[in-house]
Amino acid sequence: MSGEEEENAAELKIGDEFLKAKCLMNCEVAIILDHKYEQLQQTSDDPMNQVSQVFEKSLQYVKRFSRYKNPDAVRQVREILSRYQLAEFELCVLGNLCPETVEEAIAMVPSIKTRGRAHDDEAIEKMLNDLSLIKKFE
Amino acid sequence: MFFHIVLERNMQLHPRHFGRNLREHIISKLMKDVEGTCSGRHGFVVAITSVENIGKGLIRDGTGFVTFPVKYQCVVFRPFKGEILEAVVSMVNKMGFFAEAGPVQIFVSNHLIPDDMEFQSGDMPNYTTSDGSVKIQKDSEVRLKIIGTRVDATEIFCIGTIKDDFLGVINDPTTI
Repeated sequence: MSGEEEENAAELKIGDEFLKAKCLMNCEVAIILDHKYEQLQQTSDDPMNQVSQVFEKSLQYVKRFSRYKNPDAVRQVREILSRYQLAEFELCVLGNLCPETVEEAIAMVPSIKTRGRAHDDEAIEKMLNDLSLIKKFE
Repeated sequence: MFFHIVLERNMQLHPRHFGRNLREHIISKLMKDVEGTCSGRHGFVVAITSVENIGKGLIRDGTGFVTFPVKYQCVVFRPFKGEILEAVVSMVNKMGFFAEAGPVQIFVSNHLIPDDMEFQSGDMPNYTTSDGSVKIQKDSEVRLKIIGTRVDATEIFCIGTIKDDFLGVINDPTTI
C-alpha cells in the first residue's frame, strides 16, 4: 500500500476514509461502550465472558482517560470545538489531551498551524479557555 | 484514535437459519465474527453500534448457503503514525517499556526515553531522572507520540517516543 508510507497524523495525513469518518473522543467512546455493556448485562448473567478482549481493554482505557464524565459536558466540548473549523481528528485530539497552553496545543496538533488555516495564537487560546471552563463547571 | 465508521461485509448463512429470525441471526453472527478482530486497514473493531442495511441474499451454487451483504456502523480503534495519545505502562525493562492504549501495544525503546532518565532494576523496574522527581514504572500513565506502526494481518503494533516537548509521565501511581 502506497498510502501507508505517507501516513502522518501530525500533518493530518490519515487517509481519506478516516479523514471523512466521524472521530470519537475517549469520553464519547466511554458512553457508547458503557451503554452496550449495560445492554449485555440485561441479556446475560456473565457479560464479561460475552465481550471480546478488545472491547474490555478499550472500555478500561477510555474510562481511565476520559476527561469529561458527564454526557452534557461531552456534548458541549464537541459543540465548542466545532466552532473553530477543526478537522474531526484535530477536534478529538484536543478533546482527549486537553492541552493547557497554546504551545502545548500546537505541539499536540501541529496541523492547526499549517498554512491556509485561520488559527492565530489568540484564537487557540480562546478555544483552550472555553474548554477549561467546561471542565471547571462540570 | 477511535472512529465511528461504516463497514461492509458479506455474511454467509446456513439455510437452517432462514425464517422470521433471519435478521437477528445475521446480526448476532456479524457481532460474533467481527467484534474484537483487527485489520491493518481499519484497525481494531471494538463494537458494532448498529446495522444500517442488509442487502438481498445470493444463493451460492452447490451449497445452499446464502451470502448477504451487510452494512454496519462500528467503533474502531486505529493508531496513526504521528498521533499523540495517552497510555498505561504495562512492562518496563532495560530495553525500554511497553504501554497499552486500549487494544494496542506500544513499545518505547530506551533511545526514545529522555537521556536524563536511567533504568533502575529491582522488583519494580523503572526509569527515573537523576533527581528522582520523575519515574516511569508499571501502571504509570504516559503521554507519547507514535512514530511507527507495524501492521500484521491480525494485529497492529506501534513504536512510540516520549522524547519530545509535552510528552512523558502524566501521573505516577505511587504518588496518588
